[in-house]
Amino acid sequence: MLSFLPQLVVSGIATGMLYALMALSMTVGYRATTVVNFGHGDMLMIGAYASYVLVAGIGLPFGPAIVLAAALLFLLGAAAQRLLMQPIIGGPHLSLAMMALAVGYALRGVARIEWGNDVLKLPRAYSSGVFVLGPVVVTTDDLVISGVVLVLLAALFLVFNVTAVGKVIQAVFQTQRGAALVGINVKAFHATMWGAGAALGAIGGVLMALIVPLTPDIGVATLVRGFAAMTLGGFGSLQGAVIGGLLLGIMEKVLGFYVSTVFIDITAYLVTILVLLIRPKGLFGQHATLRI
Amino acid sequence: MNHAGRLTSTAAALVLLVAMAPVARADNTQGITASSIKIGNLGPFSGESAVFNPLNYGPEAYLRYINDQGGINGRKFETIFADDACNEAKGIAAAKKLIYEDKVFMIIGHPCSGVAMAIKPMVDKEGVPWVGLSANPKITNPVTPSMFHVGYTGIASGEAMAGFALSNPGVKKIALVQHSNDWAHGYCEPATAIIKKNGGEVVVDAALERGSTDATAQALQVKASGAQAVMGCLYQPELVVLLRDLHKFGVNVPVLGALGADFEQTVAQVNDADAVKQIFFQPYQFKSPLGQGSLKQFHDMFLKYLTKDELPKSGEPTNFYYFGVPAAIVTVEAIKRAGPDLTREKWIAAMESLNKWDTGVFADTETITHDNHDGVHLMYAVGVSAEGKETVYKSWGKPAE
Repeated sequence: MLSFLPQLVVSGIATGMLYALMALSMTVGYRATTVVNFGHGDMLMIGAYASYVLVAGIGLPFGPAIVLAAALLFLLGAAAQRLLMQPIIGGPHLSLAMMALAVGYALRGVARIEWGNDVLKLPRAYSSGVFVLGPVVVTTDDLVISGVVLVLLAALFLVFNVTAVGKVIQAVFQTQRGAALVGINVKAFHATMWGAGAALGAIGGVLMALIVPLTPDIGVATLVRGFAAMTLGGFGSLQGAVIGGLLLGIMEKVLGFYVSTVFIDITAYLVTILVLLIRPKGLFGQHATLRI
Repeated sequence: MNHAGRLTSTAAALVLLVAMAPVARADNTQGITASSIKIGNLGPFSGESAVFNPLNYGPEAYLRYINDQGGINGRKFETIFADDACNEAKGIAAAKKLIYEDKVFMIIGHPCSGVAMAIKPMVDKEGVPWVGLSANPKITNPVTPSMFHVGYTGIASGEAMAGFALSNPGVKKIALVQHSNDWAHGYCEPATAIIKKNGGEVVVDAALERGSTDATAQALQVKASGAQAVMGCLYQPELVVLLRDLHKFGVNVPVLGALGADFEQTVAQVNDADAVKQIFFQPYQFKSPLGQGSLKQFHDMFLKYLTKDELPKSGEPTNFYYFGVPAAIVTVEAIKRAGPDLTREKWIAAMESLNKWDTGVFADTETITHDNHDGVHLMYAVGVSAEGKETVYKSWGKPAE
């Protein structure tokens, strides 16, 4: 049975890449506002549907459709932050969490009105293929998803660590009042970062829709995984989000195969509970105030 | 009469009154006027199970068709839709509204087993006729006087799944991959019973939960077990994922899907002919391929009588529309048989008189008696032939026509 281990690890990495992207996109929003967006799974879902409409409905080529969907979700995320979150940003944590959840549920409700009767499939821009590498099988989808996530991760690392924007992000993350005092428009910055997180989520939605049929609930399970990956990797840490996502993907596969498939669905919850109890700052987390 | 005597007399009178009072039930002609019959159409019109509401629109199309023909005995059908979202609490509230506020004659449609079980005591207490399509066989077993299954229950479907897999010579080792819910168990448990009864063995029982994007662990467990067939008691999105991953890991054994997935959509969404050709099969409820043969008239009926919003985005009626329509066909037949002085008792008696009655839709004929309220049992299987053509089979390798 150990002969299956390499495959489980590779498949875990491929699945973990999606969790990592979810966690990354949530981390971007969190780095800006220290608020975890519990409606983020539904942003991902809307991004996937936006791509579907642009590709299957309007007939746009796949590439431009993804870019346009990400741009639309940027606007949606920024608008949600500016119009719905910002007015209550100084309020109780519970209010912020409830608002984020409510936005997510509202988006899901809208999607169900339009697409609730159908299970759809996003057309692929490439042909599916299977590659056998020794004891391991990978698909074109695995490679595309992993490639896109790695490129986005590299871009985010550059933005956060090399550019002036990264310094601004770090400044706001550390002290919003201080950032405002040196002339940073914190409100606009918050909206921009939530928009960027939503745009990244939209790309995650498109990648998911390549491998599973599209329904209004496509983002629900992945939100839990993304949150668990964030928790494991450490809130606010980009590399933590990625490593947390990959570890979670691998754990699901290995526990699911060797212990019980029932573990696949509960691993994210177990990880969240254990990390919050044993090491609340996760693997790479920084000490910061978490607002949920 | 002294004080004690008056008290005794009063108590005796009260006891007598209580004993003589009729059981609190709805009027047995509730919802019927000289010109109309009020029907409650209960189902998931919102929420994550809304994909099943074609099972509600199929019967509605037939009722509109009957209305267009002048109705039955001068009465036309007036449908009141009620949304249960496949949620027990919402379903009880929706059924209460239909029965006590809207005062419907009967309830039809109703794909959700959990809700059907939740409202069963109320429906039974009030004697409300119920013709549903939910898979859970416990709804009508043991018999509840006013409740009828005119579609296939999970037992029939589960038995058909296992029966077809075992009709492939030499197949004995079977894997189960299922959701952890009553709906899935409603298919996989009867399938397991048939497998064991025929000397087969369940070598894997794996869970694949809703929202899963990957079935690597399940597919590798099937591979490691040497299973010769798989029972996929799964909804459509997860069935697609399982078929894809089994093929990815070279597990090319027959996979029997439950009726929570639309066959054509599943094949299209797997989007890989080699992953489904002579691999994916599903119990098949109908006499003919969808939209062909005897089903052509229903195809045209759906297009004529349903609105754009009630049809799929593609405009082409899917399996669930056809699966739903017999609920209305049988209901209407029993109303005809009950005659112009329609009551619930007469309608129930008419239902129990159906003997090998052909709906024109299902592979089996409807036979309902006082002791059996499950109308149909015999099913075929549908799959993609080696030539890539959708084919209906009586058993492994034997096409129905």
